[in-house]
Amino acid sequence: MEPQQQAGSGDAPPKQVAQAMDRLGRAARLIAEIRLGADRILEALLVSNENPRLSEKAAELTLGEEDAMRRHFLDLRTVGKQLEDSGVLSGALRSRGNSWGLHMPLVCPDGAVVAYAWKRQLAGQAGASAVDRARLALKAFSDQKRRIFPQLEDDQLNRSNNDTIKFPPTKRPRLSHRPTQSPNIDSTEQKPMLADILKSIQTEAPGVTISTYQRLEWSKRAESLASTMNDSSLEQPKEQILSNLSASFNEVAVIELVASGVFRVLVSLHPAGSTDPDAVAFFSPNEGGSYLHSRGMSVHHVFKHVTEYADKALQYFQSSDPNKALSHLLSWICSHQSLFTKNCSKCSKLLAMDKSLALLLPPVHRPYLLNSKDHDQDFATAYHIGCSSYDV
Amino acid sequence: MTVKWLMHFQPNQGTTLTSQVMAEACAVAESFPGVSRDGRWRSAMTFYRAVPRDQSLPAPSDLPRDLIGISLHDLPNEYLFVMRSQRLILRAHSSVQTVMDKLQSYKGRFFINFEGLQYKWGDFKLRIGKCLYNPNEALRGIVMEVEYLPLSSMDKSQRVMEEFYEIWREAVASKLLAGQFINTEVNFVEYGLGDSYTPQHTAVLYGMCVVQVIASSNKNQ
Repeated sequence: MEPQQQAGSGDAPPKQVAQAMDRLGRAARLIAEIRLGADRILEALLVSNENPRLSEKAAELTLGEEDAMRRHFLDLRTVGKQLEDSGVLSGALRSRGNSWGLHMPLVCPDGAVVAYAWKRQLAGQAGASAVDRARLALKAFSDQKRRIFPQLEDDQLNRSNNDTIKFPPTKRPRLSHRPTQSPNIDSTEQKPMLADILKSIQTEAPGVTISTYQRLEWSKRAESLASTMNDSSLEQPKEQILSNLSASFNEVAVIELVASGVFRVLVSLHPAGSTDPDAVAFFSPNEGGSYLHSRGMSVHHVFKHVTEYADKALQYFQSSDPNKALSHLLSWICSHQSLFTKNCSKCSKLLAMDKSLALLLPPVHRPYLLNSKDHDQDFATAYHIGCSSYDV
Repeated sequence: MTVKWLMHFQPNQGTTLTSQVMAEACAVAESFPGVSRDGRWRSAMTFYRAVPRDQSLPAPSDLPRDLIGISLHDLPNEYLFVMRSQRLILRAHSSVQTVMDKLQSYKGRFFINFEGLQYKWGDFKLRIGKCLYNPNEALRGIVMEVEYLPLSSMDKSQRVMEEFYEIWREAVASKLLAGQFINTEVNFVEYGLGDSYTPQHTAVLYGMCVVQVIASSNKNQ
């Protein structure tokens, strides 16, 4: 094996990630070599058993293989040590200060390699140069802008809505979002308090269990959900009910809404303790693991599509009524309790084949436009992707 | 565990079941856009009968005479027993089969294998398989298992599964197969099973389904 230069701490994170991936590849090749060697030894033993004349040759082969295997094991040990030092096997480098938002590739207990815990649009590009990354980021943002703000193409619409649409100063920071300290931000007088919003949503939608977490608490809970699901036990873990929470609402960063048997939704608040929703994601109630967070994505198609639509809804609520964005968002989320039971308001069926996606989906688009008088807002209609009109 | 429905194929009156039907059913599945084949699957069922220790004494009446043992394709390390008369289900490690063989208190009388192809279609998984009588590999029936991955609640997934069943039936009818798929209806409450889907539910479904398959195959012979 050719000597590999060590990744010093002075190396840029993309190089470290690239080297880590390289080492993982080498480790995999070494393991394959070892397996082959073991096969050859077994074969040699079998041959010498059946054919005593060849036993001397077999013995020679076995000794040769043994040498090779020993070397492979030593190499593997070295590579393993390098990987361990660079934090690949333990995920210890999750929150390094200058990691550029990159994480070291993580080897999970079942052997899968998670290369990039980063934004899905730029997946696969972590090893590219900064110029490439900037170019890709620009492309991703323009695509997203076209998707989420199609009205921005239209100048006339822009001008007429100038007074009411304000883009909030903190747009979701996709590139450099990392866990921040939770500043003690007091909610302003005009905005309702987080506790009040949650209580009113709880009374409005009794079928949904709402819990709040600090950021680290949620990471632990997400991990624990993975192991609970693997038990396939009949009972789901008891959800934290609203009244049992600690009173430190000024550190809440994650709101979890669970409708039993239907969904688990995560809403993150930024900054922590405020009432400004930052990201939202829908998951199946039987999903668990570290990918369960407000910027994560479900493995199921139905929830993937609802999450994408929820992104648009969130942007809309933030831009049209920033003070009440969280209440609107939470109400809108709660209306999804009937995700698997409410027929499409256009074609009156529950499941419909989406031709372009080649998937059978229930109605995953629930219009989020607010009426001018916004009390008694009820997000009661639902449409299949193909049935919903463009500007909803 | 995610929700599953189990259906079996009921051939039209007067027709016999052949492997051709299995191929046709798979063709219907493959005709939906976006379906991808996902390998093969295999489950096995054993019908046990009690072997009385002492032949002269009558068998105690509270012990079940018949027992069904099932090994499911998605749980290779487990073995489930269903006692239909007592409505009981037991979930055990797969090594219990060796124990049964050694104990000889129940002997396997006949064996049925389910094997076939598996498909993935978005959030659904379809498994179409032949129901084969073990010693002579005679085709007794065709079953289809439908799994909806996002949900584990029977209640919440009821409508989705119903609509899927309708879509499937329409597709089968339009391709003019000589029969139709009938869903296995089970009252899970009688077996003490709840709303959250478990392997025990699957075991009960298979137990009921096989009874219907055997009945319909006997009728048509």
